[in-house]
Amino acid sequence: MKIIKLGLFALSLLAIASCDNTLDLAPEDSLTPEIIFSNESLASNAVNGMYSSLQSSNVLNGIPDSMGEWQSDNVNFVGSFPTFAEIRDYSTLSDNISVLNVWNSHYLSVNQANMIIKYVPGIADPNFTQASKDNMVGQARFVRALMYFKLSTFFGRQLKQDATGNSLSIPLVLEPYQGVVNKPARATLNAVYAQIEADLKFAETAITNTSKVMATSAAAKALLARLYLYQERWADAANYANQVINTSGFSLASNFSFYNNPSTEHVFQLVNVSADAGFAESFAKLYSPSAFGGRGDCPFSQDLINDFLTEPADLRYNLKRSGTDAAGNSSLFSTKYPNGTSNLDDANVIRIAEMYLIRCEANFKAGTTVGDTPLNDLNAIRTRAGLANLGAVTNDAILTERRKEFCFEGLRRMDLLRNNMPLRKASMSNSADSQPTANKVLLPIPQRERDNNPNLIQNPGF
Amino acid sequence: MRSKFKWIFTLLLALTVQFSFAQEKTITGVVSDANGPLPGVNVVVKGTQRGVSTGFDGSYSIKAKEGETLVYSFMGMRDISKVVGASNVINTILQDDSKQLSEVVVVAYGTQKRGKVVQANKVISSEAMENLTVLSPQQMLQGQAAGVQVVQSSGVLGGATVVKIRGNASITAGGRPLYVIDGVPLNDNLLTNAQGGQALNPLLEINPNDIESQTVLKDAAATAIYGSRGSNGVILITTKGGKKNQAAKVTFEQTFSISEATDLINMMDGNQYRRFKTLRGDNPAGFLFDDFDWQDAVTRTGVSRGTNVSVSGGGEKVSYYLGFGRNDQEGFIFGNALSSTNGKLTINADVNDRIRVGGNLALSEVLNDRVYAENSTFSPLTAAYLQEPWISPYDASGKLTRLPGFIPNVVAIESLDINDAKTTRTFGNIFGEIKLFDGLKYKIDFGVDRLMLEQKERSFEINSAGGYGYYNTSFQNKYVVTNTLNYEKSFGKSNLNLILGSAYEQNDITSATVEAINFASDLQLNVTSGATKQTTTSSTLNSRLNGYFARASYDFDNKYIFEASARRDGSTRFAENKKYGNFWALSAGWRVINEDFLKDSKIFSDLKLRASIGTNGNDRVGDFAFYPLYAGGAGGAYNGNPGFTNTQPANSDYRWEQSKTTNLGLDVSFLNNRINLSVDAYYKKTTDMILNVPIPGTNGFTVLAANAGSMENKGLEFDLSTVNVNTKDFKWKTSLNISTNKNKVLELPGASVGPDGNRFVAGTSQRAIEGYSVNTYFLVRYKGVNPQTGNAEWLDVNGNVTTNPTDNDRVIVGDANPDFSGGMTNTFNYKNFDLNILTNFSYGNDIYIDGQRFTDNLTNNFNKSSKVLDYWTTPGQNAYAPALTSPTRSIFNRRSTAQLKDGSFLRINNVTLGYNLDSQIFADSKFFTSARVYFTATNLYTFKKKELEGIDPEVSNSVGNTIQGETFFTAPQSKNYLLGVKLTF
Repeated sequence: MKIIKLGLFALSLLAIASCDNTLDLAPEDSLTPEIIFSNESLASNAVNGMYSSLQSSNVLNGIPDSMGEWQSDNVNFVGSFPTFAEIRDYSTLSDNISVLNVWNSHYLSVNQANMIIKYVPGIADPNFTQASKDNMVGQARFVRALMYFKLSTFFGRQLKQDATGNSLSIPLVLEPYQGVVNKPARATLNAVYAQIEADLKFAETAITNTSKVMATSAAAKALLARLYLYQERWADAANYANQVINTSGFSLASNFSFYNNPSTEHVFQLVNVSADAGFAESFAKLYSPSAFGGRGDCPFSQDLINDFLTEPADLRYNLKRSGTDAAGNSSLFSTKYPNGTSNLDDANVIRIAEMYLIRCEANFKAGTTVGDTPLNDLNAIRTRAGLANLGAVTNDAILTERRKEFCFEGLRRMDLLRNNMPLRKASMSNSADSQPTANKVLLPIPQRERDNNPNLIQNPGF
Repeated sequence: MRSKFKWIFTLLLALTVQFSFAQEKTITGVVSDANGPLPGVNVVVKGTQRGVSTGFDGSYSIKAKEGETLVYSFMGMRDISKVVGASNVINTILQDDSKQLSEVVVVAYGTQKRGKVVQANKVISSEAMENLTVLSPQQMLQGQAAGVQVVQSSGVLGGATVVKIRGNASITAGGRPLYVIDGVPLNDNLLTNAQGGQALNPLLEINPNDIESQTVLKDAAATAIYGSRGSNGVILITTKGGKKNQAAKVTFEQTFSISEATDLINMMDGNQYRRFKTLRGDNPAGFLFDDFDWQDAVTRTGVSRGTNVSVSGGGEKVSYYLGFGRNDQEGFIFGNALSSTNGKLTINADVNDRIRVGGNLALSEVLNDRVYAENSTFSPLTAAYLQEPWISPYDASGKLTRLPGFIPNVVAIESLDINDAKTTRTFGNIFGEIKLFDGLKYKIDFGVDRLMLEQKERSFEINSAGGYGYYNTSFQNKYVVTNTLNYEKSFGKSNLNLILGSAYEQNDITSATVEAINFASDLQLNVTSGATKQTTTSSTLNSRLNGYFARASYDFDNKYIFEASARRDGSTRFAENKKYGNFWALSAGWRVINEDFLKDSKIFSDLKLRASIGTNGNDRVGDFAFYPLYAGGAGGAYNGNPGFTNTQPANSDYRWEQSKTTNLGLDVSFLNNRINLSVDAYYKKTTDMILNVPIPGTNGFTVLAANAGSMENKGLEFDLSTVNVNTKDFKWKTSLNISTNKNKVLELPGASVGPDGNRFVAGTSQRAIEGYSVNTYFLVRYKGVNPQTGNAEWLDVNGNVTTNPTDNDRVIVGDANPDFSGGMTNTFNYKNFDLNILTNFSYGNDIYIDGQRFTDNLTNNFNKSSKVLDYWTTPGQNAYAPALTSPTRSIFNRRSTAQLKDGSFLRINNVTLGYNLDSQIFADSKFFTSARVYFTATNLYTFKKKELEGIDPEVSNSVGNTIQGETFFTAPQSKNYLLGVKLTF
């Protein structure tokens, strides 16, 4: 009996140091979604984090917008990255890593937005008002719409090339990753546009934020105006552009010092400050010659110079500097992103000038004068650029004005496609490959994605 | 320091003083064994602390009273007791401990008698290690045990060591064994930064001189009781302790050594370089003439000293060991030095008949004056190889100067800059054991491993414009509580041993780093003085492990042995409902020698068959890899405001990597134990291997750390030890071990698919490919220079000759793992001389000389190997390099099999010649009992392929599982000559 007692005592000794709850250990710096989405303050930090993800050079900080510029006719890409050169040469292959990075980084941001959209409404924080929740969800839906809008321009046929809108665009993922790997198929352009519109319509009313370095109700309206322009819904486009123009705090800046500065010009400006993470292949690295800390990859194309030289007094043509390009030649570079060393130039995601030109074009195409006449809107832009007023509006005049106003800001490629024009003129290299319905005007669905998701159908020609 | 030494000596001497009170007489005599007089035998008066050791002629002299008992003991011999009678002379003959029955082997959570061991383990005794002059415990294992491959990764002092037990069992998780010192599992996190090469060996703080033995646990029967950490094998380190009833024994050892590089690459000198550049078509107008021998400037003959002192002994109830070591090493690379200071204390005491307590405490400080290595322009050796030989580190006035090019002035860096890593570590354990009733003991053991690391760098104006400062501090705090119940019982012919236990481990690491540039003056040493702070960061790593374990050993009549062990481990590293894992092993042995039909065998002195099967886990993965996580910091900040981004996907199924091992073994001894052979065959399969499985990027993440892959290792191991000659004056013993291991990756679900349809995990030169070894080289085949055209030629994927290969022409061309490897030790004793020769070898492994892509680069402006001076000029010439006008000139150095070499080698690792001074010399002094003078040469010569001239075949530029046998200007190992004196008194 004594032996059994002693044995039991001994066994109980074994338990001295054993304590199961000690295994409930959490990391001290990274936090789980349960914690992040437990109160307003933490949730608002997730919103900041979402914007932080947009700072990737593969999202809003340079690469995709610049790719469009050199795939079309604004930039003479002379850099050494073969994956960038493939896009310039219309020889893109499905294993192009840069294309993959753009794809993955956009979906990474979509996931940030989806987490907020899914979890913020359910936060049981009595001080967290519905309006504040809507403000966050609205911003997340704006970001999601922006991501899908940007991706849809690259990976699928546009309406002008397939008016049915049934061409395959990109997969729509509306739920965050929750431990189950999803393998979505590509949605049609119509479905993508419908989702973008729904997200922006929500954002338009839900967002109360007024800081222009984040999404605002006006930014949602402006993006809707762009969407309607691409959809050729002229009345809606003119209406929404007009609403933005009439929003207080948004007006044409009097000169071009608004780049990299706060200004009434900006509708949504993604800013970069040194306390944020680094931006490796950002606008500044691409557009600054080596003497200014960049790589000198993206000088003006001769075609763009020629366009500017038709009216050389254009103040926008002053936004340039000479320098040695990546190929070792002396070239002209834009000064919209001048800080190649610090890499801290801001992305001009939406500007008020675009609203003037959308209202102009929509009124012109529809024969209306919502807000103002097309001629007045066009001349407002020209006046700021130091150019004489035109006497009449033509589609070509609008297109040219848009080119000069937004060169190196990523709008050129879609301006050409939505006018069913080739990305490059007949005199330029790869002209035949750049016809609006040519295969390699689109980017390939990345091979790695198709390897891991059999539901993805490749674009023709890849 | 001098006063410290003095103090210690005083202490040591005080401990040796013995007082005698009783009426005693002096007993003398000679102790011998079957071969003659036996030195070093302990002679103790039972029940007292009085004791002596026999001298070299086997003689002893001790004071004792009539009626007292003298106990004679010697390792491997049976103890003999003799009662002191009227005679003043007692001669004794000790008998071999027949069949080594009583030899005790350290196993997990205890000891076992050698004869009853049914695990695959190998004990490396102090005898096998004592002649080695090494810096770390891992190096002591090199060439000593079958199935244990030890590769010293570089010749930089304190360089990391790759230890592989039975091959590579993982891809992404750690592949190194678990180290347990006196029952305390040690941390071996790499806390130091890599500095272009590799982090420092994390076990440098263990003084090899304090190690009594190391047991390598290989099969699951041996390791399953370590559960989640046993998959890569376990190394049990037992430190020295005192012996009961032994007079205080003081050993003092002093060494003096010099070291130099084993082999360096022959590069061009200034004249050769200018000639080469002229022929290449460079404009001589730009040539310089400040010729300088960089290799000579960054290498040297390093001078080192070492001191070790220990005192050990014991009385009837208490035994103790005190050790002190101090080592000052100078590496052969200019600027590389290491000094370590160690203290060690072990005490064991019987409180009464039931209670026993004890403890180990080790304190050490290691100061490493580091050099950058390998892939860094700050690396003295790399820079010396590649710096243009017409550039001098000195300006016209003879002062060190900043150099204009890509490669900085490494002479100035090593002369002026600060680059130190200082570690202070405390580890040890205390235990209490109580006998609850006959056969049942309870033991509680508390172990700690505390480490503080400081890393400090300061680069001055001449080397870094504006100056650069770096400071890192890491704290590691680990404690382990182990409770065990041990029950031992014999009934009839049955013997039973049970162990039941629990262990809890808590491990916390904190690290902080600051970094700055823009210093006003070189006189300012700390980061605080840099105007621009670059890094300010601190982080933690925390983990907990909670385990329950058991082992039951049973034997019937010492013939049929069965053992079962199990462990249940819970770890914070795994997902919520996968935290706990169960591991088990079963083994059986048959001691055939104890069967009647072999009992009287003249041939066999032992014969045992073993078989085991069991499982293990591998928890060497990062912390919290399963949690969905939001990370902050600069990565989550926007517009200067802090934020969080969702950076890690959830994986609720994240669990251990599992391995299952089957082992068959045979232990056989012949001719009265003169020939001992152990053979083991094993098959080990790793499943649930953690891989970064790619998932569609539309999920917001591109990879998921998931348990997906599987891999197998199978092999054969032979350990043979023989006594070849055993006469009075001359003895010759040999131990040889040799092993083969075949690694094969079975499945890599989700990984990329190669051209042959097999999935693979990519690396630059080697890949893990399904159906092949985890270290399979995948390269373009280089054919050579065409004697007719002077073009370098390769083979395309179809085997056709090409002068313009692409990455698509890569094929499987080799394996970094050897066909077989092992070691051999020969020990000769002739009268007072002894000679010990240790060789280690590896056969059939391919090594990749990454640096050759630079030394064979014909187009850039770095120095080149003098081999490329043999370039093609005339048709019919068999040249090393293509014509300097050939279009293949610019791709001659492309990654291909041109840089892949047969890495087979046989290295004369250690040769020690010792002379033991005749004890008669000391007979009068009554002070020394023995003295030994010895000379050791390490890495004396390495037999290797001729094409490896300048290359050390036994280096690795990574400790990672998937990069083995590659070198990028990895510092070769050093060749050392050491002179030592060891005094015992």
